[in-house]
Order: sequence, then structure tokens, then C-alpha cells
Amino acid sequence: MKHKHLIIFGSVMVVAWVAGTFLFIFFWPHLVSNHFKRAILVKGFGDGPVPINTLYTESQKLFAEPLHTSLPHGSSNLATVGVNHDTLLTGGWLDLSKGPLVLHVPDFFGRYYSVQFTDPFDDDFAYVGTRTTGTQAGDYFITGPDWKGQVPSGMKQISSPDNSVLVLGRILVYSDSDLPTAYNLAKQIRLTPRGN
Amino acid sequence: MMEQNTVQPHRSQEPTRSSGLLAFLWRRNIVSDVVQGIIVGGVLAFITFQIIAQTYVTKVNGWTTMLGCGQPGAGILMRGVCGDIFPGPINVPQEAMYWHTNKDDAGQTLSGHHDYIMHFPAGQLPPNDAFWSLTMGDTKNRFVPNPINRYSVSDRSGLLPNADGAVDIYIQNAAPAGHEFNWLPAPSGNFILRLRVYLPGSAILDGKYKVPPVVETR
Repeated sequence: MKHKHLIIFGSVMVVAWVAGTFLFIFFWPHLVSNHFKRAILVKGFGDGPVPINTLYTESQKLFAEPLHTSLPHGSSNLATVGVNHDTLLTGGWLDLSKGPLVLHVPDFFGRYYSVQFTDPFDDDFAYVGTRTTGTQAGDYFITGPDWKGQVPSGMKQISSPDNSVLVLGRILVYSDSDLPTAYNLAKQIRLTPRGN
Repeated sequence: MMEQNTVQPHRSQEPTRSSGLLAFLWRRNIVSDVVQGIIVGGVLAFITFQIIAQTYVTKVNGWTTMLGCGQPGAGILMRGVCGDIFPGPINVPQEAMYWHTNKDDAGQTLSGHHDYIMHFPAGQLPPNDAFWSLTMGDTKNRFVPNPINRYSVSDRSGLLPNADGAVDIYIQNAAPAGHEFNWLPAPSGNFILRLRVYLPGSAILDGKYKVPPVVETR
């Protein structure tokens, strides 16, 4: 066959082109999500890796002096890129396969905050915060897809479609002098295993 | 050893013995046809993905934004495109909207060699129930050093309105005499502006609110 190599190259290319386009569309959000998962669980944001099922709050120094705070080698720079000088970040990665977790939020007294729950394909399936639940204190019972049981009284259920969850909290900082107050509130957003 | 013996005679039939990338590109056998097809197809797929993503982007007055990210059930295509335009755990639009630009209203790249003004007519600051901010970033999306340690201007930064209630933001490398409160310090080189509006008002969510252009003044 005269153009055998061209035909093989051409047909493989077309198949890779079409299939690759679908693969990029489908898996790109997952690649992005994995990047954050690695930043949280492997690199951390200045104090070593953030253990699974715990939250880490961005340091006041990093927020106040983003240019002059040097993170230890190997830390993720995700908290320093993206130029956000509005909200303190708190975040972590959840594994709900071992059972539900409880998210506690303090009273924010009308301050804007949000805690975003994102699945491994970048869908925000739930929020706790000013817009969705108000700024009063509360406890939220986070369950995985396979969980069955009774939600403890006094808690609202957050039902995750996946056992893997990215939790990202944003707490508005009004001014430099407000930073300690905002940080103190952010630190009171806590995750505990069920029953503790 | 058996394998080497079977491969060797085949190799000796090749017209050249040169190795490396060029040889790989020019040598024709089924393996190289397939590998090259996958590589070229993969690159084309990535380019196609970028082109598709761009069709979902909204551009107003030089600003780039996108509605409808982060929402479950928005569809696989929308999800993929959002992951490309905003590579991170982006908020749903009701929580926050984001705009960015590296161009002024004339399509010129933003640079500290020039001075710019963003003019918000009276009552036309971004409508919101939480906060808004305009943040300066260098081309690598990092904060920009400046003598007054100001990285953004916002609803909290003490912007002064003009006599008619409008607000001008001075975006430039050197401090604007008499307008220091409304100065967003730029680097000496190129930069990117990011506008955030948290708990955006309905005028933003239904697309009626237009972010003002960044206009060169010098």
C-alpha cells in the first residue's frame, strides 16, 4: 500500500484528536482538583502538610505581608498566587469513607464568610455561610454517599456525592486592624469526627 | 538474547542509523506512525479544548468573566470549560463573580509605562451584599510591591468620590498627586487587574451591570 504510513498516522491522529478533546473536557476539572488535593495533603501552606479531615487557616502574617512572608521550601504557593487581599482562607481535604464529620462554625455576627464544599470534579455541592445559612453559630453533619443513619439532633446534614471533598472557607477581613479578629473567627471553624 | 537476534536483522534494513528526535520523526514504521498520531492528535485536542472554552467566556469592556461555574448539574462541557478558565475551586455565581483583564479599553496591554483610570459613575460601583475589590497582580498573578503596601482598592479601602458622586480609580506606577486615596499602585511592567464581587447583586447575575473599561490617560 503506497500511503500506508500516512493512513495509519492520519487515522490515529483523528481518533486521538476527537477522544482527547472529550478527555480534556471531562478530566480537566479533576486534574485541577488533584492539584489542590496535593497542595493540601502533601505540600501544605507553610506549616507542613495539612492532615486529612483537618482544616488549616492561612497565617495572619501571610495575609498581612504577602510579599515578605517566605514559605518553607516545598510548601504550596496556592495561597499566595491569585492575589486575594479580601478574605482569609481556611481549607482542608475530607475523606468521608470512614464516617461522617461535623463542621462547627462560630457566630460571625453579620460578617461575610462562606465555607464551600467542592467535589473532585469541581462542583460546589454545598455551602455554609452568610448567604446560605446566615452568620449564627452552627454544627453541620457531613456525610458521604454510602452513609445511612440518623442525623444528630441540632445538626443540619450536608450530603456529599463523593467521599472525597475539598472544603474551602473564606472569611472577610475589613482592615489591617481587623485581621486578628477575623483570624480568631476563622480558627473557630472546626472539623471533628462524629461523636466528639 | 532471542529478542535481540530477531530485532537486529530488521534494524539493519533501515536506511540510516542516525538516532534522536529527527530520526524518530523521519523513520517510518507502525510504532512511530501511532506515537506521532497520538502526540499530534493530543496537541490538537488541547487546542480545540481552549477554543471551545473561549466561546463560553463573556467579554465586556475588555474584561473577561464567565457565568454559571461551580454549579452541580451544569453539564460536563460547562464544568470542563470552567476548570480551564478558572483553574481552582471557583465559587458559584451567587456567591462570587470574578473578572480579569490585561488590556485597556483600546485593546492595548496594561503596563506601568502608562497611567489608567477606571471611572465608576455615581451609584455604579459593583452592586453586592458582601464586598467588592479591585486587585493588582503582576503577569504571574502575584502581588505587586509598592511604597504604601496597597495591593487592592475596595469597598473597605476609603475611596473618595468626586463631587458628582462618581468614583475614579487611578491605576499607575507613580502616586497620582491629589488622588492618593484612589490610587491602585501598578508595577513598572505589565500587569493584570482582578475584580471580585462577593454576593453580587441581581444586576450582575442577570448580566445588566457592565464593569467600566480601564482607560489610558497617559
